[in-house]
Amino acid sequence: MAKPILRVENIHKKFKGTEVLKGLSLTVYEGEVVVIIGPSGTGKSTLLRCINRLTEPDSGDVYLEEQKIEPGKSNFSYIRQQIGMVFQDFNLFNHLTALQNVAIGPIKVKKMDKKKAYDLAMKELARVGLAEKAANYPAELSGGQKQRVAIARALAMDPKIMLFDEPTSALDPELIGEVLEVMKDLANAGMTMVVVSHEMGFAREAADRIVFLENGVVAEMGSPEKIFNNPEKERTREFISKITRLNSVAKGREVL
Amino acid sequence: MGLNISANKVLASIPYLFEGVGITLEITILALLLGTLLGLVLAIIRVYGSGAFRQFAVIYSRLVRSLPLLVILFMLYFLGSEIIDIPAFWAIILALAIHSAAYQSEIFRGAIQSISKGQMEAALALGMSKYQGIFYVILPQALRRAIPYWANEATIVLKDSSLAYALGVTELMRRGEYVSARTSQPLITYIVVGLIYLLLTYVFTKSMARVESKVKIPGLER
Repeated sequence: MAKPILRVENIHKKFKGTEVLKGLSLTVYEGEVVVIIGPSGTGKSTLLRCINRLTEPDSGDVYLEEQKIEPGKSNFSYIRQQIGMVFQDFNLFNHLTALQNVAIGPIKVKKMDKKKAYDLAMKELARVGLAEKAANYPAELSGGQKQRVAIARALAMDPKIMLFDEPTSALDPELIGEVLEVMKDLANAGMTMVVVSHEMGFAREAADRIVFLENGVVAEMGSPEKIFNNPEKERTREFISKITRLNSVAKGREVL
Repeated sequence: MGLNISANKVLASIPYLFEGVGITLEITILALLLGTLLGLVLAIIRVYGSGAFRQFAVIYSRLVRSLPLLVILFMLYFLGSEIIDIPAFWAIILALAIHSAAYQSEIFRGAIQSISKGQMEAALALGMSKYQGIFYVILPQALRRAIPYWANEATIVLKDSSLAYALGVTELMRRGEYVSARTSQPLITYIVVGLIYLLLTYVFTKSMARVESKVKIPGLER
């Protein structure tokens, strides 16, 4: 049995009186790729943000390996460094080149020697296929390139786990593929990943487990084969077929 | 003919007026230095601070912006004569700094808040502290955006430094007054003084525009 990297225990979160997460628990194992799907407003993004505490949950605990994640504790920043996060709208630092974006974490947070950090940053950029864009600023890159730089930026911190918050939803359809390719390579390299995404092709190919979130709790989870072909719940089946149809329409294929 | 001779007298005083420019610039630069520092700190407190600190920054800005600069100047100066002695030169610098800091805090606050929330979140997600996020991610972008508004405020400080004449500091405006009395040509004198302010403002505005384009982030619209 693989060892658990991330443990989310009974997380509750309310926004303005509406409970978004209602006692959600989830364990992610080393090297596992978990894809989280579910209707909008069910708390998928909130779950990711509660993990690295960009959002503070009302109650419940999160553990990275055996360490409890607690803001204010001395190891909080150290734990955050080990959780890479990729955002829907990239959030690259606009005033820095692609290379500087990737190097700034190691330099400022890990206090790495600059020369070493830039070498590392170059390596990470090469890994996402963007070595030749090192000197470009974010505003000079396409959406797909920005997201790949954002992935490289997270990787440069040598994280134990990577969180992806709808990494392709802000992209033009023709740019989605290049980002998913990078993510698949990462999955194949053994990175532990939690991905909120409705890219069913990616889920089918790369996921070890699919988690269907509804109304703030895990409604159903299982292998892609089970969730796609033989879900236990009718709601899961409905949702999957709806999303698959939408995906196909988006790709311009005729269905039915 | 008589006007011509008097005009020549005014023109002969131009070197004397330009010596006043030095003092005007000293006042302006020192006031801007202090005002910018204070304004920036207030803006950071306003956006990222909590509780009493934030409240202080809000009240400071409201209070100071509702007082005429001349009132602040006289309060400082006479506070000086009653408790501790503040020389006129420093009274004007402090008054300008206190006054300008309130306006600058609004400029910097707006600039900081115009940077998308995701920038700070990305910094925190990398493991940076809030302060690191502010200094390495938010301010480098916000300060660039603030440049044209800050430059405008700086020209206001430059022109407001003329209020120092009320305390007898021999900067440009005060010297204009002497020349005007000596030559009995107030109109010509103040036209010359005005042209000197115009020249200073023009040079400053031009150089700030150059700074702005020099630090512009490539590819970004603004």
